Amino acid sequence: MIETYSIPVLLLAPLLGGFGVAMLPKGNPGAVRTAAAFWSLLTFVVSVIAAVSFDWSKPADFQLTGMMPWISEFGLSFTYGVDSISLWLVLLSTFLTPIVIFGSFKALSPELQGRTKEFFVWLLLLESAMVGTFVARDILFFYLCFEFTLVPLYFLIGVFGSYQRLYAAKVFFLYTFTGSMLTFAALLYVAQVHAASHGGVWSFAIDDLYTAARSLDAPTQGWILAALLAGFAVKVPLFPVHTWLPLAHTEAPTAGSVILAGVLLKLGTYGLLRLAIPMCPEAVVSFAPTIGVLAVIGILYTALICWVQKDIKKLIAYSSVSHLGFCVLGMFALNLIGGGGSVMYMINHGLSTGALFLCVGMIYERFHTREMAQMSGLGRAMPVWATFMVFFCLASVGLPGLNGFVGEFLTLLGAFVSQDLLGWHYALAAGVGMIFGAIYILYMVGRVVMGPTKIPSLDHDAGDEHGHHTVKDLTAREIAVLVPLAIGCLVLGLYPKPILSTLDEPIRLLIDPARGALAARHGDETPRLTLVTDEHVASAPSFATGDVQ
Amino acid sequence: MSLQLAKLIPWLPALSAVVCGICCIKRPLRKLAAPVCVLSILAGFVITLGIQSHVTGHHEGGAVGQTVTLFEWVHAGSFHVDMAYYLDPLTIVMLFVVTGIGTLVALYASGYMAGDRGYARFFAYVSIFIFAMTTLVLADNLVLLYLGWEGVGLCSYLLIGFYYQKPSAVAAAKKAFIVNRIGDLGFALGIFLTFHHFGQVTYTDIFNAAALYHAHGVEVPWTVQLIPYLLMLGAFGKSAQIPLYVWLPDAMEGPTPVSALIHAATMVTAGVYMIARLTPLFMLSPGALELVAIVGCVTALFAGTIALCQYDIKRIYAYSTISQLGYMFLGVGVLCTSGAVFHLFTHAFFKALLFLTAGSVMHALAGQLDLRKMSGLRRKMPVTCWLMFAGCLALAGFPFTAGFYSKDEILAAVMEKGLTEHSALYITLAVLGLFTAFLTAFYTFRLWFRVFMGPEKYEMGEEHHSDEDSHTTQDAAHGSTSGGIEVAHHHEPHEMPLFPMNLPLVVLAAGALLAGVLGHRWMAHMIGSSSAAVVSQVAEHGEAATETTHHLTLLPGVDLHTSMMIISSVIAVLGIVLAAYYHWLNRPAADRLASQFKGLVTLLANKYYIDEINDAVIVKPLNLLGQVFFAVDQLIVMGLVQFVGFVPRALGLSIQPTQQGKLQGYGLGMAAGAAIIALLVVMAMH
Repeated sequence: MIETYSIPVLLLAPLLGGFGVAMLPKGNPGAVRTAAAFWSLLTFVVSVIAAVSFDWSKPADFQLTGMMPWISEFGLSFTYGVDSISLWLVLLSTFLTPIVIFGSFKALSPELQGRTKEFFVWLLLLESAMVGTFVARDILFFYLCFEFTLVPLYFLIGVFGSYQRLYAAKVFFLYTFTGSMLTFAALLYVAQVHAASHGGVWSFAIDDLYTAARSLDAPTQGWILAALLAGFAVKVPLFPVHTWLPLAHTEAPTAGSVILAGVLLKLGTYGLLRLAIPMCPEAVVSFAPTIGVLAVIGILYTALICWVQKDIKKLIAYSSVSHLGFCVLGMFALNLIGGGGSVMYMINHGLSTGALFLCVGMIYERFHTREMAQMSGLGRAMPVWATFMVFFCLASVGLPGLNGFVGEFLTLLGAFVSQDLLGWHYALAAGVGMIFGAIYILYMVGRVVMGPTKIPSLDHDAGDEHGHHTVKDLTAREIAVLVPLAIGCLVLGLYPKPILSTLDEPIRLLIDPARGALAARHGDETPRLTLVTDEHVASAPSFATGDVQ
Repeated sequence: MSLQLAKLIPWLPALSAVVCGICCIKRPLRKLAAPVCVLSILAGFVITLGIQSHVTGHHEGGAVGQTVTLFEWVHAGSFHVDMAYYLDPLTIVMLFVVTGIGTLVALYASGYMAGDRGYARFFAYVSIFIFAMTTLVLADNLVLLYLGWEGVGLCSYLLIGFYYQKPSAVAAAKKAFIVNRIGDLGFALGIFLTFHHFGQVTYTDIFNAAALYHAHGVEVPWTVQLIPYLLMLGAFGKSAQIPLYVWLPDAMEGPTPVSALIHAATMVTAGVYMIARLTPLFMLSPGALELVAIVGCVTALFAGTIALCQYDIKRIYAYSTISQLGYMFLGVGVLCTSGAVFHLFTHAFFKALLFLTAGSVMHALAGQLDLRKMSGLRRKMPVTCWLMFAGCLALAGFPFTAGFYSKDEILAAVMEKGLTEHSALYITLAVLGLFTAFLTAFYTFRLWFRVFMGPEKYEMGEEHHSDEDSHTTQDAAHGSTSGGIEVAHHHEPHEMPLFPMNLPLVVLAAGALLAGVLGHRWMAHMIGSSSAAVVSQVAEHGEAATETTHHLTLLPGVDLHTSMMIISSVIAVLGIVLAAYYHWLNRPAADRLASQFKGLVTLLANKYYIDEINDAVIVKPLNLLGQVFFAVDQLIVMGLVQFVGFVPRALGLSIQPTQQGKLQGYGLGMAAGAAIIALLVVMAMH
């Protein structure tokens, strides 16, 4: 019962909720908010039920599977199912959406109050699409959801954003859309290869496409990988195709930024991990060092850019690019350490950066500015906000004991020990990013939270009818929005085991073909430094003797 | 008591941090913060006392620590670390320092910080610090050590920036964190390389591996030899050694109890602890040890010279801390781990005492720290005066005080190594160490004679209570504290109350005077049965080495150790006497001397201009690079925006109708585009 229906319910709940909210009578924003919050919470409960019914002893098996036939003659159907990686990302999405919805109760400016309904409907539809991308087991379903996420976000940015919102929305849409068209073409081509080798029987199941793509020669795989990268790397975003992101983030409303950073960027990394790496193992092995270099450049380049930002939100937007560089670097180390770190990074970045965008949003709602020059020393005026802000900043710079550290450390370690592919110099260069990370985050904290108190002038604020500058610290609702995220950051930092322990097996399945290709390439020639590689480490005491001999 | 109780040592302060956090929010409870914090640290001290016999009792034949595991922390692929604690005598010594000094300083702070609006926040931070520091000391693997390491760094950041409205405090806090991060990158890479080679990061596994190398006597691969060099960078950052020392003098922006606890007694010694803990690993790399010794000695001398010409009391002590840490590095560098840890132990007493008495002076003079603006305070603050005197004696290495024994042990070991190995390098290091001891005695007593001796005169500082909250106009406007400020500007320096402020100082003073006599045998025994013991050295050189040592000497009639003791006593007394002449009896002579060496004095007073050089060579160019990158990024986006603005307009003319119903239009466009590309691809295939 639960096994069969939990995922369809998970997909349909926000969708139905969206329609339900759309049906509500106009002019009652309160009811709209409550309904939206209700549906998103319901979805979260369903996802928790799904997680409970998942058999965690077999994290690599696809469970809770099912199929909705569409046009069976053409092999078209919606197949779904989750392994642990998908399930964790689904949970991340369903966890963040209610938080965002609660966080947006007061976010709309007076002139947009009339469009409250639209705002929440888009958020719910977006949730459905995100969940769909993570649970899809065939590429049509995957691609449909992957692309559909663009539409709600386009409107969230274009209608509810700030000054340059239309430009930003267009750049965002066309940039990511163009990239993913190429991705789609590549996927269709692989499906065609499959059909050709199976006597014209079409299938879009991801597993079938793995086999089909792996049967191709290395150069063709290379083209497929390039086409997949065109879509996914833009989404991640990987240097040098990251330029749409800061603009989109800066112009998006808080809810849009949180979801964008928290989940939508992970669609890119998820796509790389789920499709690109298993499909084109030969090509991945050839491309990995290059992708690693791009990731490292992205880490350093954007970290330095963060340092010279004047707008807090833009700073955090750029920091996302820098952070996702670690994620990609760990993934293309193609070992369990890097891979586990990479998936951890996706989840952790969703929590801490999402929370940072919320914190910035709370400032923007009060002062209608995000310019660092306009404010200073808010720690005294808003101690509760300041505490949360500093906490999430520390999580973001990877302070051990908080969540960011686990992913950062493992991705760097993964890169370091993959001597046959990346190597110590990648870890060293990316590690410099840790220093830059501390520089720009502390620079921002030093400007905004610390220093002599300076409150932005509220002259143009309609709400300031009393004529004097009273700054309200966080309300109970705002605290309630941030607390779950803070708990998440702390718990995953001190006890990441529940997630990490379920990642080894599915990641092994995904990277094994590439590791195989790598081993074949190296032949018997064992790299000199690799005394202990991932696979044969279990017997610890034997290493030193091996070394000494 | 069961060893399992050790688990409570870090987690009680963690709990206390939560309670103090609640006290921050519920202001009526704020008075509760100090007792909770003090008790949680004291509990750690009591537990350490209780488990001490369990740990030290098991050392017979091979020093093996015991591990207490809490839970599995990180596990990915073959990488695996636990939240586990490693207990051996070295751990116990460090725990005594951290919880013992921690309790005393927290008690002092409960009086010192009274009246500060961040009272509860202060104790919350201190609690987190004790959690992180005890975790650092107890960790059973490098990654957990790293957690504690960065954790104490965080607390240091938060506490340096405690008066966060003061720009200089914010800058200092930032600097401390970032400079430490640079060292920590080396540390992290060291961990990676350790894992890469040994497949494990727990101490026990590392020690076993190192023991195998020693046992087989084979050549150690250079990549293994590299590990200590990387870890060393982390140690240099945390313990403020050249080139990463620049943050510590600025760290004095924090409240004085913090300077005493974190930036003198405990946190900054973490680097020494790390190297001592990993002695077996460092012994695989003789070059690394040599470098540690050289850096330690040069730092000791370098910081000592800067301390000569500073006028800010806390900064003088900060440079002297850097200098003393240099001695400790010199000690571990020549594998005199027991001497190094002993110096760490005694230094914790006397330096905490010196900082806290400096805090009392500051408290009494409303934040005044400038040596030139105070003199002859001995009658106003007699207790503080003599407490600081005790601390100064120990720092100067006056015979039979604590600092005398520990410093001497290190210097004797260096000299011994130099003479037995006929190494000019180590003899030079020993001589430089002795010269630094002279500088130490001089600048220490320069400060004391200036503050407490001579004619009585003083200028009050700007602030109400010491360096408390820089009072912003806001506060003054509230009127609640403005009365206090008025009073502060007129009232006279006064002695501190016995409880809770002077009592802890008396305990520290007793330690500063007696810890050397009473502690040096105990320390040798403790370290000798810990992982820091230098076992194989003795095994290799064996009897022969001991034989030769007895014949080595510098002065006729006495052995090397005694002669070093005599020499350093003479040096210490000489330094004190000179300081008394120039800074008490004949102060104009000091000024004349200074004007004769004007260039040198300016150079030293400006700390060799290192901060300015760093700023010009590293910070500015990096920031500029960031500006350039941002400009490039902007350019790309601008171009894109232009392009994007143009394309739809062009397209819009041709496909106007479909763009009308926004969503449907885009959906249709998407589907059509996909279909066209798919068609092209399929056609291309056939």
